Amino acid sequence: MGYAAHFMFNNGIEPEMELAIQLIIYGILMGLIFALIALGLSLIFGVMNIVNFAHGEFLMVGMYIAYVFSSSLHLDPIISLPFAATAGYLLGIMSYHFLIHQILRGPMVAQLFGTFGLMLFLRYLAMYIFTPDVRSISKGILVGKILSLGWVTIDLSKVVSAGLCLLSFAIVYWIIYRTKLGRALRATSIDGEAAQYMGIDTKKMNALAWGIGGATVALAGALLAHFYYVTPTVGMLFTLIAFAIVALGGFGSIAGAFLAAIIIGLIMVLSGHYVSELKFTFIYIVYFLLVVLRPRGLFGW
Amino acid sequence: MRQLLVDLFSFQDRPPFERIGFLIFILIVLAFPWMVTSAYGKAVMIKFLLFALFGLGWNLIGGYGGQVDLGQAKNVGFGAYATALMMLWWKVPFWFTIIPGMIFAAAESFAVAYPMFRLRGHYFAIATLCVALVWKELFVFWDWTGGARGIEIPIRPTPDFAYMQFGSPIYYHYFIFILFITQLLFMNWFRKSKLGYQLQAVRDNEDAAASLGINVSRTKVIAYTITGGLGAVGGSFMTVYYLYIDPDFVMPLDLSILIAMTVMVGGAGSIWGPIIGAALLIPLDMYLGAWLGAQKRLGIDFMIYAMIMMVIAAREPKGIWGIIERLSRKG
Amino acid sequence: MRSKKLVFFLFVSILSLLIVSPTLFAQVKEVKIGVILPLSGPLAPIGKSLKEGAELAAEIVNIKHPELDISIAKWGGIPNLGVAKLKLVFADSRGDPGWGAEQAKRLIEDEKVVGLLGAYQSAVTKTASVEAERAGIPFINPDSTSPDLSKRGFKWFWRVTPHETWFTADLFELLEGLVKGKAPGVKAIPKSELEPLAVAVENTEWGAASLREIEKFASERGWKIVEAFKYPHKAADLTSETRKLIASKAPTFLFAPYVADAILFVKTLKEMKASPRLIWGQDAGFIEADFYKTLGADVNGILTRDLFSPELAKVKPIAGQLNAMYKKTTGYDFSGSSARDFVGVQVWAHVLNDAKSTSPEAIQKALGELNLPAKELIMPWKGVKFGSPFPGDTQQNELGSGVINQYQGYPDGKLHIIYPFESATSKMIYPFPGWK
Repeated sequence: MGYAAHFMFNNGIEPEMELAIQLIIYGILMGLIFALIALGLSLIFGVMNIVNFAHGEFLMVGMYIAYVFSSSLHLDPIISLPFAATAGYLLGIMSYHFLIHQILRGPMVAQLFGTFGLMLFLRYLAMYIFTPDVRSISKGILVGKILSLGWVTIDLSKVVSAGLCLLSFAIVYWIIYRTKLGRALRATSIDGEAAQYMGIDTKKMNALAWGIGGATVALAGALLAHFYYVTPTVGMLFTLIAFAIVALGGFGSIAGAFLAAIIIGLIMVLSGHYVSELKFTFIYIVYFLLVVLRPRGLFGW
Repeated sequence: MRQLLVDLFSFQDRPPFERIGFLIFILIVLAFPWMVTSAYGKAVMIKFLLFALFGLGWNLIGGYGGQVDLGQAKNVGFGAYATALMMLWWKVPFWFTIIPGMIFAAAESFAVAYPMFRLRGHYFAIATLCVALVWKELFVFWDWTGGARGIEIPIRPTPDFAYMQFGSPIYYHYFIFILFITQLLFMNWFRKSKLGYQLQAVRDNEDAAASLGINVSRTKVIAYTITGGLGAVGGSFMTVYYLYIDPDFVMPLDLSILIAMTVMVGGAGSIWGPIIGAALLIPLDMYLGAWLGAQKRLGIDFMIYAMIMMVIAAREPKGIWGIIERLSRKG
Repeated sequence: MRSKKLVFFLFVSILSLLIVSPTLFAQVKEVKIGVILPLSGPLAPIGKSLKEGAELAAEIVNIKHPELDISIAKWGGIPNLGVAKLKLVFADSRGDPGWGAEQAKRLIEDEKVVGLLGAYQSAVTKTASVEAERAGIPFINPDSTSPDLSKRGFKWFWRVTPHETWFTADLFELLEGLVKGKAPGVKAIPKSELEPLAVAVENTEWGAASLREIEKFASERGWKIVEAFKYPHKAADLTSETRKLIASKAPTFLFAPYVADAILFVKTLKEMKASPRLIWGQDAGFIEADFYKTLGADVNGILTRDLFSPELAKVKPIAGQLNAMYKKTTGYDFSGSSARDFVGVQVWAHVLNDAKSTSPEAIQKALGELNLPAKELIMPWKGVKFGSPFPGDTQQNELGSGVINQYQGYPDGKLHIIYPFESATSKMIYPFPGWK
């Protein structure tokens, strides 16, 4: 049987080629969305050398905000985007002030578990408020619409999300590399003490990094909610994917995170097709091999 | 030989109050099954000893070595599966299955250690996580290990000392206690051994240690290898205690994190840390879970758990033992 | 020096207090049954509905309901035990086999329950029932479907629900029925229209068991499978997997996922404009309220292997009455799972009454002799009687059966029974109508 008879795609292109192109497009789209998710993690690590286990939970917060807009407030979830980003920003800043600030002084063990505690807390708080039920958004401009370009069919929400992710990414990149504020951030990440001597308020920079980190990932969450399910435990998986991306791209390198995200997106989609059961396994193996052969990742320090 | 025994059993280098406290602790644990009638209480004690056992092994690389390993569950799984498969296929009695499990775990740890220790800090932690996840998914993928279906150990008439199956929790209690005390004595020897001191030197300052002539890389690898072997023992116990294992049960990410967490909360890098951490978290988890768990609104127990963790991380990264040491120094 | 000792003594006492547990003694005024369910964790919504099903049954046992025409509704307690009230003691398994085993220990020895009920997930049932077997306490399993469970030769484990082998047989009966023209409202269709089959299951114990059974039956009955795979459950994205199904050109899709992935599959199939002729879901994810509430009209035409349907009310008034009571409390209908937990408690009530005692041996004997007739049950079964229906089974209910339902007319529609054909409550919609 196989792909021999292609009634569906009557355009002369080999079905295998079509499939490959379709998969690659999906992979890149997923990669772009992953890129925005990983951006915050990379930024936070770059500036203060801390890995945020609660990263996926910030994403979950964004998802729930979009859901609440849709189900309780009966508004189009697309409106929730700026709110999600703001909430993420505030959550990031608060996390910094109340927790992270304290654990920065401690050993790495303490840092890892401080953020791990934050992760558990947010996850079970969501479970308490929303119950473990699986939720989903069913109405909205971006929900469930399909885009057809010739023989390629893509979910519109994925395309727009990917586009918005790309845009947000570009904005953050611009902030970091083209503005004075960004320069201050970069200075802090290269050498916190020296930056302090230069008059840069390290505390403020750290908080800002957490703010931007939280905002971007919550925004990604609100976008994800358009086509993915919302449940309190959804965070961990994305945290792991984000970790793999950031470590692959190099902790602290934003460009690296972008490239790595695309790669991971492609791996996931392609291995999902060929050996579905092991699709995450391949991500972990690729990460491991690459990171061992090139410990700094693609561009990190 | 005599020196070896002395090093194994001696706690002379610890202040008297610690030694007395430890003695009292041992006496309570030994007398426990006779003091307590509740089956759940006995089960809590057994789980506490199991996690103290896990913690002792992890403490070697995580505490004394200062390398955060988030993949210890893979070693637990290796031990559990070694025991389960050997019992199922070849009817090997329990005590002969422990060694192969430990050897496999140690060998695997050795193999991945060299490449992994080229990484530092957070990179290393995530690498350990990835390795453990890969193994777990492989065990699910493979059919010959039972896959997701897991492995069930057939029930035998009890008491059975060859296959360690018993009708009463009292036997399991002393069984896990023996395993626990063995590893504790080993750790006691280790922390005073040359390797132990070298490892701690590496933890405190790698460059200084290197300048003293310590082979940093080799030290870390050996420590990680030993931790691997030690982790397998608890896994073997789980197989005969629950009589059922599957990859989600014996090698999930949550277990790795829980093991590391109990040691960290208790005090990583001290001999008592794993015991204290397990003594706090395990009964807390099991009692809160039993009392609050079946309520309408879920999640409160874990939220409390999480808050304790965050407070410890923020206030006293040396864990509860660090708090105690600080208080007693003031006195 | 003194305060140092104080600190140390304080520390040791606190440590001891933490380890030493409070002793729990249970006063036996009522008859206690321990119920182990996943009340937290990813399966918590299902656990909740199971708990509600069990609680409803206990209420019917304990309070007389003359309007219901089943035995337990007339009792007001367990008659032969001095009209003792049935008390369900719930324990959260957290979906973890170790935790479930520990809760079983607690229920048996501390709460002094006379027996156990549970635990939905087959892995948890495995370890929890080991505890019961060791303690010589009866364990009734109403809702786990891994065939392994009844093949262990346990003396203290009874399973009420049919297992995967039954359900897979039903599926193939349906497929063959369509070919022979037996499906209500559907003329006979050539086998080539339904063949080959594509199967996607999650890589858990249950998913893997489902796949094994499907492959076994397919080869025995001569159906071709062109694509069959396991995917990691709780997947971030099922695009590749869905594309694989569509690319296989199979007209029949068979699924075994839990809720979240079930929803994701349907959504992705819709967005890819898939057009299979038949979609069938293996219970679990496809029958939970979250599934049809979330997807609304998108579920129409989907077939599910199930054990119950509210439409049974048409042929079994008691099913309708009890479903109405259940819906009044919970806001949704009985699902195959929650209905089975209702039956589980019901079986316990009958068995305790038959045993006239709470001793394990008496209960064991009563279970062995139990012959509950169909009219007592809300399920469309022939009854409850334990035996060896399939090779290797012991203490397994021989008289159970599954149904195959089809969503029709949602979001305000009904879940109609299509199979067994004689009990069908509506014409079958074939082929799958697709999505708007």
